[in-house]
Amino acid sequence: MSSVPLALGFDTSAAHCAAVLLRGGAVLAHRFEELARGQAERLMPLLQEVLAEGGAEWGDLAVLGVGVGPGNFTGIRISVSAARGLALGLGIPAVGVSTLEAMALDASRSVLCSVDARRGMYYVQLFNSGRQSVPALCSFKDIPWPNPRAEVAVMGHNARELADVTGGPVLHPVHPLAEAIARRALRRMHNVTLQRPAPLYLRPADAAPPRQAPPAILP
Amino acid sequence: MAGTTTILGLESSCDDTAAAVVRLKGDAAPEILSSIVAGQTALHADFGGVVPEIAARAHTEKLDHCVETALGEAGIALRDIDAIAVTAGPGLIGGVLAGVMCAKGLAAATAKPLIGVNHLAGHALTPRLTDGLGFPYLMLLVSGGHCQFLIVHGPQDFTRLGGTIDDAPGEAFDKTARLLGLPQPGGPAVEAEAARGDPKRFALPRPLLDRPGCDLSFSGLKTALLRARDAQVAEKGWLTVQDRADLCASFQAAVAEVLAEKSRRAIGAYIALSPSEPAFSVAGGVAANQAIRAALQTVAAEAGARFAAPPPGLCTDNAAMIAWAGLERFRLGDTDGMDLAARPRWPLDRASQPMLGGGKKGAKA
Repeated sequence: MSSVPLALGFDTSAAHCAAVLLRGGAVLAHRFEELARGQAERLMPLLQEVLAEGGAEWGDLAVLGVGVGPGNFTGIRISVSAARGLALGLGIPAVGVSTLEAMALDASRSVLCSVDARRGMYYVQLFNSGRQSVPALCSFKDIPWPNPRAEVAVMGHNARELADVTGGPVLHPVHPLAEAIARRALRRMHNVTLQRPAPLYLRPADAAPPRQAPPAILP
Repeated sequence: MAGTTTILGLESSCDDTAAAVVRLKGDAAPEILSSIVAGQTALHADFGGVVPEIAARAHTEKLDHCVETALGEAGIALRDIDAIAVTAGPGLIGGVLAGVMCAKGLAAATAKPLIGVNHLAGHALTPRLTDGLGFPYLMLLVSGGHCQFLIVHGPQDFTRLGGTIDDAPGEAFDKTARLLGLPQPGGPAVEAEAARGDPKRFALPRPLLDRPGCDLSFSGLKTALLRARDAQVAEKGWLTVQDRADLCASFQAAVAEVLAEKSRRAIGAYIALSPSEPAFSVAGGVAANQAIRAALQTVAAEAGARFAAPPPGLCTDNAAMIAWAGLERFRLGDTDGMDLAARPRWPLDRASQPMLGGGKKGAKA
């Protein structure tokens, strides 16, 4: 077995199943399948295919990288749950990587990344040469632009529209999503404060207290 | 059957995150090596019921911890497990998915077989785990989401004799608690109040008792309880603690009486099949209610059937029943692939005419 660690990265945070097998910096296998339904049925067979294509087995893996969103809640949970089960079963770390930081990985300049949050909203995060803002859910008018805006490039959902605000360029991610996730995982696998991957929802659960209060109860 | 079989079970179909290890050694009685249940009551307390998205979020981040705890308490490692069983439905789909995916991850990582278990089969097979019942036996499955009489012929062979045409009794208990300002889950809260109340004070209906067969209805009972409450409030502007206890007692008595009478009929239909050792069992969250258990026990005794009710902790949702149902399937050589699907609806008896639900999601029962 090579001493270069093997990483498996995967993501189902939107209408796709994506997976990459990396050995160090080299991509051994990559799959991206557009899939609006049936991710839960497809994900594990897809991962097995990626491993087989790369000539690897589950036991060869040193680390898992998993997309934690923001994105589709159910899709995020499908991958995160699988990653936690795999990590426990294999006895290796699973690293949660956000969609936003995966997009920004290895970008050549400051960039604002955006993901479609539906209902006219955006999930955004600003990556500014090493420093980064907190990921946020916001409307178009509340996007936390840096000052001055012109410095910043944009990437992701409605990038063209956002670029019209800044006058800056539209960039594309350097790596495909699953590959960026696997690369992040390799870089972070020895981090001593590593937590189990957890979904990054950014939007609270849709729940309201009951409409009608019960009557007064007296002794 | 010789040999030892050890199964890890995972359950996450409603608001309990659970993992358990069950072992069967030769002809000895099965053993629950561990059974961990992490509830979510506090998370849902402000909303008057289980919120599916909140439940799914909690399951996703708790399940692997529960598995570790279950293995630890059982004193075994994953490599000592023969197969991994998981609830694959029916239930709140977000939670079911979290369980199915975690189980797939565990199974792939350890190269162990994966077994998707019907949550209702888990409840229905529990009396074999706890009381060693032989087939066929009669089962009343009664919970917050389900209510049906089943003849259990085998681990995957069920005949439905009847069931609710609208709500499940557990749901009616929850609603009663909400209407009377009691905490959720409503079952234990209403039961505690009922113990101090007069079951005869409010005349609540006994739905469908006047009709033949084993079908049940609880929707009208909820409405009747609301009317009785509102009549008290209209009279004096509030409810007294005694009014509340009496409402709870009257409600619980109505549920118990309906379940007892329908059980009497179901036992009749079951005994007509001449089972060699007639047995009647009950499971599901509502089976944890002591008044209802007592009523059903009386009915079984009158019919000359053995009554087997699992302990309350194995009547409510748990993973030991999932591990056990998985073990029964595993012994039949029946396992699932990595394409196992999570199903929001999954009737146990698929031969009978659907009686509840339909459309795109399919039949509920």
